[in-house]
Amino acid sequence: MGDSHIVAVESDDNVATAIRELEDGETVTVGVGDDEVRVEVTEDVTFGHKIALEDIPEGETVYKYGLSIGYASRDIEAGEWVHAHNVESNYGRGDLAEETA
Amino acid sequence: MTDFLGYERSDGSIGIRNFVPIIATAPYANDTVKRAAEIVDDAIPITHPLGRCQTKPDVFQTYRTLLGYATHPNTYGAVVVAHAGEIVDGDELADDIAETGRPSASINIHDEKGVMNGLKATVNATREMVQDASAQQRQPHDISNLTFGINCATSDTTSGLCQHKATAGAAWRLIDEGGRAVFAETPEFFGGEEGLAERAVNDDVAQKILDYVDNWDQRLQETGYDVRGAQPTPDNMDGGLTTIEEKALGALVKSGDGPIQDLVDYAEQIPEESGMYIMDSPGHGAESVTGIGAGGAHFMIISTGQGHTLSNAIMPTIKITGNPGSAERVPEETDVDVSEALVGDQTIDWATDELWDEIMEVVNGKQTLSEVLGESQFAIHRIGPST
Repeated sequence: MGDSHIVAVESDDNVATAIRELEDGETVTVGVGDDEVRVEVTEDVTFGHKIALEDIPEGETVYKYGLSIGYASRDIEAGEWVHAHNVESNYGRGDLAEETA
Repeated sequence: MTDFLGYERSDGSIGIRNFVPIIATAPYANDTVKRAAEIVDDAIPITHPLGRCQTKPDVFQTYRTLLGYATHPNTYGAVVVAHAGEIVDGDELADDIAETGRPSASINIHDEKGVMNGLKATVNATREMVQDASAQQRQPHDISNLTFGINCATSDTTSGLCQHKATAGAAWRLIDEGGRAVFAETPEFFGGEEGLAERAVNDDVAQKILDYVDNWDQRLQETGYDVRGAQPTPDNMDGGLTTIEEKALGALVKSGDGPIQDLVDYAEQIPEESGMYIMDSPGHGAESVTGIGAGGAHFMIISTGQGHTLSNAIMPTIKITGNPGSAERVPEETDVDVSEALVGDQTIDWATDELWDEIMEVVNGKQTLSEVLGESQFAIHRIGPST
């Protein structure tokens, strides 16, 4: 059994949600489908925020609920905090629509 | 078979409240409406900035929304207040209200020769209606008569993991009893629209879902800006939500996973057939909840992460959170706290029961926190420019 306070929703998710505060340097075990993933947390993570369960190279899809929640805007390492500083959306991108128009 | 005590209407609907709204047809009647509602205890003021100098699609939408409130199951009768000649016509609205068998009155400030006379006429019509409404008794009716409104507010990452599951559980329990449920906020389907379309009862409904989502994405792209900051909102992002897709996939949890019966336009009436419906609306809570109210939902479950004041004057709103600490931080914004199902030893089934029990009390007359505190917002979604 993984830590019940770190939730991966589907077996192919590459991020998990922390429902407690995580500390830089702690090693956590996350239940992902039928498996367990051990990750060393590389920075403090606030309640409700996400950590990477594996390395996610720049441009690759970030999966939660087994579906895309966007793409990595730079290389993300396992154990890193995953949020707006390293993930971009594929929707509502008027800024990109203008560039390609 | 489960009964509740409700108010019978001559159009066949059953109310869980017996409200008398006073409705402005344009902003120039707002002050008269507000003053009359201050004088007549229990009257509900409905004010807004629209109803004049709008293009036709907006006129239809404004009219449909106001009529939806005036003829809502929870509405006994309504008083309409116009300033002068408006494109949203007060007399026409009052006639349409009367057609449902409800008492209605139409006041025109110019016809009454000024604001003071207009106020007096509005107070007199409203006073009489509120007195008559207070004499009506609740009668037992089956809960299959009810429509369950669903909306999220100040979502965070707890929403999709806990409280939305309890909300979905309670909504489908009502549908299993023969009732209806409706959720909205089309931009919050982004990234989950294919899964949602797969749940449609037929190909037409599936295509409608995909078309409406595509239409919203186009509208947002036409702004020339990244939507982040508007969706997700800054408070969503503080709560850990990174992109609109993540917010959407969590948001869709509140609809459960059963079949989608149909999709209706903003402020359109929810069909009578039992099932789960979608109303097209923006993700802006005040606008989506206003639309769902116009569609005739009896009550609204606000499934929230960080807590929210979002509520409605005609549709009692019950706020549920699964975020431990929200109930302590914002006590007036938490009717039901199910965080024990997320961080404690309780189950989602327990959380669903907690919410269901509260709903049953509210439909039988128990006031929600926002009702007791007199909190509500009213915001009609607009399509095009003023003219």
